[in-house]
Amino acid sequence: MAGTHHFLTDVRYGTSPIHALDPRTKLLSVLALAAFAVSTPPTAVWAFAVYLGAVFFVLGLARLPLGYVLRRALIILPFILAVAVFLPFFDRAGSGSYEVGGVELSHYGLLILWNVAVKALISVVAAIILISTTSFPELIRGLEGLHVPRVFTLVAGFMYRYGFLFLEEAGRMRRAMTSRNYSGRWFWDARLMGHLLASLFLRSYARAERVYVAMVSRGFEGTMPGAVPLDFRKADYAFLGALLGLLAAVRVAVAA
Amino acid sequence: MHLPDGFLDGTTALATAGGSAAVLTYAVHRANRELGDRLVPLLGVTAAFVFAAQMVNFPVAGGTSGHLLGALLAAVLMGPWAAVVVMTAVLGLQAIAMADGGITAFGANVLNMGVVGGVLAYAVFAGARRLLPDSRSGFLSAVAFAAWLSVVLSAGAAALELAWSGTVPLGIGLRAMTSVHMIIGIGEALITTTVVGAVLATRPDLIASIPPGLAAAGDAGASQAPPQGPADGPRASRRGRARLGGFVAAALAVSLAVAVLLAPLASQEPDGLERVAQDQGFVSAAKEPVLNFTPFSDYELPGIEGDLGLILVGVAGTLALFAGALGLGRLLSRGHGQTATDEGAAPGPGAKPGAGPGAAAGAGPAAGRVPGHGPGHGVLGHRHSGHDHSSAQRDAG
Repeated sequence: MAGTHHFLTDVRYGTSPIHALDPRTKLLSVLALAAFAVSTPPTAVWAFAVYLGAVFFVLGLARLPLGYVLRRALIILPFILAVAVFLPFFDRAGSGSYEVGGVELSHYGLLILWNVAVKALISVVAAIILISTTSFPELIRGLEGLHVPRVFTLVAGFMYRYGFLFLEEAGRMRRAMTSRNYSGRWFWDARLMGHLLASLFLRSYARAERVYVAMVSRGFEGTMPGAVPLDFRKADYAFLGALLGLLAAVRVAVAA
Repeated sequence: MHLPDGFLDGTTALATAGGSAAVLTYAVHRANRELGDRLVPLLGVTAAFVFAAQMVNFPVAGGTSGHLLGALLAAVLMGPWAAVVVMTAVLGLQAIAMADGGITAFGANVLNMGVVGGVLAYAVFAGARRLLPDSRSGFLSAVAFAAWLSVVLSAGAAALELAWSGTVPLGIGLRAMTSVHMIIGIGEALITTTVVGAVLATRPDLIASIPPGLAAAGDAGASQAPPQGPADGPRASRRGRARLGGFVAAALAVSLAVAVLLAPLASQEPDGLERVAQDQGFVSAAKEPVLNFTPFSDYELPGIEGDLGLILVGVAGTLALFAGALGLGRLLSRGHGQTATDEGAAPGPGAKPGAGPGAAAGAGPAAGRVPGHGPGHGVLGHRHSGHDHSSAQRDAG
């Protein structure tokens, strides 16, 4: 666990037109894409083909390896399997059904499964492009630029900085437990993990107190100075304009 | 339980986002008033702690593991309003930086895990505290019950939203989500209670919702005074016992009523229920391999729901839970004299630490485990019993 924070730091610091975009552009794009995709009825299959095409076109522009993106996209799979995968087996009156290899699948259930799977996929791939082409400080600055309340951006910034530290610390304690022959298999062994977490909390809290005192002594009064300047350029107007134009056109065509 | 995009329709997404925004506005206001300019560092570091704690897997059974949700833990430690802000930051980081949880479903996720799992469960916790004796075991029993409930209520809220969106019929969704999370919630209760118990024994001043009866050591604000081991025995007066009995009866009645009332909802789809029973074997079989190669999704517990009816599961779960919660509170408070108090505190009445959780869970603990528990327990216990917590930071690895 310790030392391998690949889920957060596996950012490809590349140079591509997408990397160079303003973080606000990318955040708004992901939000717009998710909102448009969610509001599109699942019967408009071609619309989702366009959305997916747009997402994978941007993926190509960002020069991210496809395997890496798809592997990260697996995060939605457990939820689909747990919640939606059994839906086609339910019979809905009047929706019609198909017989595949002796199993009856309802039309309505298949439609719902397609609906959640394709929407989740579009949105999660878009989010992965965002986080793989944007550093965390940039993300935070972008959120500030979009007028997300400062308390959240500041807390998120703290969390990002200290999250690693605490994960490493938890990893060290875990290793110490393992080296003393802890092999938790059953949930009554979990009590020791509780002690580990309690220990982690106390250390975290002690650190928070020290950090706070250090900040106050350096003139902290509730806000932090922004470090990364934001720069909304022509490329941002062009990208956002093209994407929103495409999304709006598809949505109007679907509604018509 | 992080809902991805696409599972909720536009109306539900907007409604839940609106509800969350309203609660958050109030929560920020309240947290600001209580914490002032300590707000950002304190909440930031607590959020980092919850974030890290969610990554620490604890064993559930036979090699499977779960992890903490942490909403109620944060609420007990920091107060409910600060907890909502903390959970929002954690969920936001997970959604934006890890693609865990959807963008349009963010409002719903905050509502389920922050507002329902944090504030609502905290209200239950506060109510339970009023009914329970003002003692360590009473306090920890309330923590255990509310922690379990926070997970179940979160899952129930998610099932409601899925039903409103037309994704999963209410009966099926509610049954599947709550039954699985009734089991997962036991782990949440166990871990939350252990963490709160250990903090209560070492730095009770850090617990925002400190019970008045235990607050003696905590009144001095953020002082690092050595903790007084809260003496449970003398305080648990006869009046306390009567209140405990009343609480158990009332809470049992409410929980059983809820469990039984869920059944008619579930039977709205009789075919569906039969089908889900047939298909669940397949669902859980399909879930397991996936869980192993995504880093943080081993949270879902596969295949426990089985063929039992909801009532049976609910009633059995409720009874086991109550035995568990009360036993846990008892045993943790009895054992703590050995686990984490200072040398000066009166030693506990000789309870074997290792016997605690197993017995509390209603399952026979393997006697052979006790020796394995003792030493590790003591080491960890002493580690955070010192005055200077930072000094112990580097020696564990």
